Amino acid sequence: MSEHASDTTEQDNLDTPAAIKADLLAGMFFLVLGLVIAYLSWDMPRLETRRIHPATIPGLVPGLLGGALALCGFLLALSSARAAPLASGWKTFGHRFVGAEAKRVLALAGMVLVYSLGLIGWLPFWLATGLFVFVAIVAFEVWLNDAPAPLARSLIWAAVQAVIVAGAVTFVFERGFLVRLP
Amino acid sequence: MFDGLILLSNGVAHFLTLESLFNLAWATLLGIVIGALPGLTATMGVALLVTLTYKMAPDQAILTLMSVYIGAIYGGSRPAILLAIPGTPASAATALDGYPLAQQGKAGLAMGIATTSSALGTLVGIFFLALVAPLLAEFALRFGSYEFFWLALFGVVISGRLTAVDNPIKGYIAGILGLLVAMVGMESLHAHQRFTFGLRQLGAGIDIIPAMVGAFGLAEILTVMKRRFAPKIVSSTDRVIPRIGEVAKHWVTTIRSGLIGTIAGIIPGVGEDIGAWASYAAARRASKEKEKYGKGSIEGLVAAETGNSAVVPGAMIPTLTLALPGSAAAAVLIAAMFIHGIRPGPMIMTETPEVLYQIVGILLLSTIAIMIYGLSLTRILVKVLVVPREKLMPVVYVLCVVGSFAITQRMFDVYVMIAFGIIGFILREMKYPMAPLVLGIILGELLDVNLRRGLLLTDGDVTPFFTRPISAVLWIVILMTVLMSIPRINGFVTGLFRSSSPDNGKAG
Repeated sequence: MSEHASDTTEQDNLDTPAAIKADLLAGMFFLVLGLVIAYLSWDMPRLETRRIHPATIPGLVPGLLGGALALCGFLLALSSARAAPLASGWKTFGHRFVGAEAKRVLALAGMVLVYSLGLIGWLPFWLATGLFVFVAIVAFEVWLNDAPAPLARSLIWAAVQAVIVAGAVTFVFERGFLVRLP
Repeated sequence: MFDGLILLSNGVAHFLTLESLFNLAWATLLGIVIGALPGLTATMGVALLVTLTYKMAPDQAILTLMSVYIGAIYGGSRPAILLAIPGTPASAATALDGYPLAQQGKAGLAMGIATTSSALGTLVGIFFLALVAPLLAEFALRFGSYEFFWLALFGVVISGRLTAVDNPIKGYIAGILGLLVAMVGMESLHAHQRFTFGLRQLGAGIDIIPAMVGAFGLAEILTVMKRRFAPKIVSSTDRVIPRIGEVAKHWVTTIRSGLIGTIAGIIPGVGEDIGAWASYAAARRASKEKEKYGKGSIEGLVAAETGNSAVVPGAMIPTLTLALPGSAAAAVLIAAMFIHGIRPGPMIMTETPEVLYQIVGILLLSTIAIMIYGLSLTRILVKVLVVPREKLMPVVYVLCVVGSFAITQRMFDVYVMIAFGIIGFILREMKYPMAPLVLGIILGELLDVNLRRGLLLTDGDVTPFFTRPISAVLWIVILMTVLMSIPRINGFVTGLFRSSSPDNGKAG
């Protein structure tokens, strides 16, 4: 518990060098994004041929919002640049992407993408769902775990749960709530 | 006055049918379970349930969604007490005193007090909902395009400011991003398609439900699964049902926290977590036993749980009367109401006054349900907490896919959910609040259409936006909020007040 608490505190601290660098990059990203949106809004058709009032052009609000986003991005980047020297902190920032936590997130995101963009549509929904549930449980119980479960036990129980979930979700949503499934 | 009471009793009686009570019973229980499971939030629960209630009658659908919402806000107190991990962000303040109480062998008492406080908090909020909402709706009939434009901006700015206390710029960025998302698709003034980049599916804009399922579902799953360590449970077998004296002793804290929670609910996009923290801080400031806070103070627990529960009815005030979501979950409720043909807004008291009183009825009935479940199902609810996240989260993701697909039945909405989930996760990791983002998506069209319509009415003159009385109040508040979030100005103003105060030593 205490181990977990200290782990969270370190990650959550807003003033860590890594967080400051993340803010700097995000600020610059929002500055560019805001400017791009403002430009696209400026470039948007003003519908002169339809004789609309010039104060009601479709690009008005997105343009203002783009400008506001760019300003906020600039201010965020500026405050981050002032908070710490530009050259320092990049190493700790980089560590965020290589640790065990990053591996867990990337693994799950990968599984989610393969299931949603690949398996659904290619396989029947119940089969795709069963496979996703099975693989995700085993991966997080056996390989991506600090206290791994025995492989054989995990395989058996994950298979049982996968069958139940695939069957139950398909049945409850299709028959019970009359919802169409992907 | 009597009309109101008659409508109120009709609102309660409307749901005293077998079907309604059945829906109330399962939905509140489901809500409690959702709230109790760390990683499943009230907003996510309500967003996923929109799909299931799609084919229900409008009153039953709203009953189900509200019951899940109330149940989940309450349910979050269980893991906060037993695991020191709030089941939903609403219960973060609950953990401060709830968990130490559990460690002292008083887990049962803590759960009992949390239950009664939640119920009392909801009751305080209901009182103000029934009192304030009709008045606000009548007042809002005076609003024109100018006022609605400022109101939309007010919602996003206030929500951004109050949900990102450490760095308000992040709150504002989240709000602006939400507003920009709402700009995608066909705008309603000239039917021009904006930012669709040739994608036919974007023509109708980005649907709020898949966006919410992503931002509150997938993003939450990724956050929960990221952690390497699972928390340990602390439980005890002491008495759960508190004595009347134990509850009545804290009546001042209860009323104060209920009031603060209601106000937090009324403020757009400021949700249960802020309500709980604000009432916890106020209770601590007023307490004679400040030193006990954080070490197992019953008073602190009462403040936190009353505060977060009062937000739910409080949030329904702007949600119903102005169509301005009082909390993130209320944003989903607005979307669900539109799906079911209920139009929240100033006209609600003229067109469908019964809806307001039906919602009051739902809140009352689900409060009773919470009391029954909370004081009786202690052991079973503890079992819910030990479900390993490795087994639970894949199932939740499957529900996210089904939930985002089912309403319009197109895979594009699943892709929207994934995009919002991944972007939402990255934003959360960098401490950007989600509530202003959601509020922005909901209020984007209101802001856009009313600004341009107002300008059309005045032939491009912006003066009425600043000179009409209600508009003036709104833009001044917005300006003050933005200015006060600049550290230098904030420091200067605070310093000004400190130096002019005769007892400035007591000011902090």
